[in-house]
Amino acid sequence: MPARSLKVTINGQAQPVEDIPEELMMLDYLHEYRNLTGTRFGCGQGMCRACTVIVDKPDGSSEEVRTCITGAHYFDGKKIRTVEGHAQRDEEGHIKTLSTVQQQFLEHFSFQCSYCAPGFVNAATVLVERLQRQPIARSQLENTISEALESHICRCTGYVRYFEAVRDAVLKTPGTTKEAS
Amino acid sequence: MNYRSILVTALALGLSTTSVWSATSDNSTLEQGQYLVRAADCAACHTKEGGTPYAGGAPIATPFGTVYGTNIRPDKEYGIGDYSADEFYHVLTEGELPDGTQLYPAMPYTAYHSIARSDSDAMYAYLMSLKPLNIEAPETDLSWPFSMRWTLNFWNLMFAGESPGDAKDQSEQWQRGRYMVDVLGHCGECHTPRNALGALERDNHLQGGVIAGYEAPSLTPDELADRGWTPEDLQTFLREGMSDQGTMFSEMYTVFHHSSRYLRDEDLKAMSLYLMGENPPDARIVDAGNRAGADSPGRRHYLNVCAGCHGAQGEGVPHVAVAMEGNTTLRLDDGRNLVKVIYDGIGAQKFSGFERMQAMPGFADKLSSAEIAELVNYLRQTWGGLDATIDAAAVDELTAKNE
Repeated sequence: MPARSLKVTINGQAQPVEDIPEELMMLDYLHEYRNLTGTRFGCGQGMCRACTVIVDKPDGSSEEVRTCITGAHYFDGKKIRTVEGHAQRDEEGHIKTLSTVQQQFLEHFSFQCSYCAPGFVNAATVLVERLQRQPIARSQLENTISEALESHICRCTGYVRYFEAVRDAVLKTPGTTKEAS
Repeated sequence: MNYRSILVTALALGLSTTSVWSATSDNSTLEQGQYLVRAADCAACHTKEGGTPYAGGAPIATPFGTVYGTNIRPDKEYGIGDYSADEFYHVLTEGELPDGTQLYPAMPYTAYHSIARSDSDAMYAYLMSLKPLNIEAPETDLSWPFSMRWTLNFWNLMFAGESPGDAKDQSEQWQRGRYMVDVLGHCGECHTPRNALGALERDNHLQGGVIAGYEAPSLTPDELADRGWTPEDLQTFLREGMSDQGTMFSEMYTVFHHSSRYLRDEDLKAMSLYLMGENPPDARIVDAGNRAGADSPGRRHYLNVCAGCHGAQGEGVPHVAVAMEGNTTLRLDDGRNLVKVIYDGIGAQKFSGFERMQAMPGFADKLSSAEIAELVNYLRQTWGGLDATIDAAAVDELTAKNE
């Protein structure tokens, strides 16, 4: 299988540039080359979105990208975040503080089997960051959360607790909502 | 209850004779009428999205404005409840309402002109058997001068045309196929180019047209075979909505849902016989090659954003994503459809049985016009056997407007 060099930054760290097979999907690169197994292989068809990671764009915005159907080389030169990159860690790599989204997921006991949780964490994080840049009226919050998360599938059907956690994560993040539109 | 008692009951209840018509229609007539209404794809224009079948309200975009399909249920105010069978036949075949109002040719009366009277009566009986619904269609909104209906008289004089000849030298099956394709199915309405006044170019019958921004490809025998079609594949495609050549999308997906999936096998065979002839040309096979080069930018785009679903070698994933190898869209001379599906994506689709196709994402915000052009050229070169003729400007032009 032909290979090409791939240069990518993951969770703030530039990864070693090395030759990666051209046909490798990003999810396999994360698992096999970087040992980042928190990104889940779910349906393998881009449907369930358990494999979602975050791409940070040069303009400061962020977006979700599915890694089971997107080639590793699509990410060449890009900065991405995986579920392993949200918590603050100490110098030894131990978790010090969870992100607001992660903390709310824990407090609401949002996940059951947790297989879809990495995708939901990333989707919720992208949403919170978007709302920090573009606040919405408080009255629009429910619909906005639904639109942001509705493509993510949870086979344990834990949607209500996910949504409630994300609502609290948004409300606990300053500047994301305003009283009137 | 016999006919006399039905008539007496109807008169006693003050019902019109049209209700008597449907009440006296036997089940086989109603079944045949339903089949013909489906074959004529009436629902596509007379059913709005999420609405009750045949209650109208579906918008039909034309280059001159939006026409709305009307209510064709037996409602007396907004539907066909007061039509007699004669009047229904006249509307169907001449495009003129009982009050003399001329319909816009978005209603394909020029194709329906040759509908058999017995078929019209069966369609009428079926539609009259439905529950009336008092629903008015939105007002048609056309630009001037097309908003003046009287101009349609001139349009009809110039373009309505004559019925096709008898073609007595052709087989009965061929003639049935022509009736299904040209008359009931009115396939030419989309698959024939139109002139500046919106009339079909009859000299270029079934040679391809553009609808809602997508190409309705040519259906001539040579061009079908050149894109890899056999008569059997055509039948499968119409019946199942998918075949080895790909799946239906855009307007044809609607045709499949409302119409072609209900057609009987003998009619599907007749249609493919008519379209491809008694001695169909051999389907051309394109060898999946490497014309674009292993290190072409298009190949890299393909691996980055397409191969996860369509396979690194274009083999596709059964029940998930179509194969690129043998795909008819990649073999069209005009790259319009390929550019647009990559740009816009395709929504999730249901086909016959339990067959489903997941949504294909659009890449309008993921790939630049130049990258889409590189990808399209790679696809067309590799699996279409075509030259790299698409550039960024062509992508911009195709994605900026719907023609």
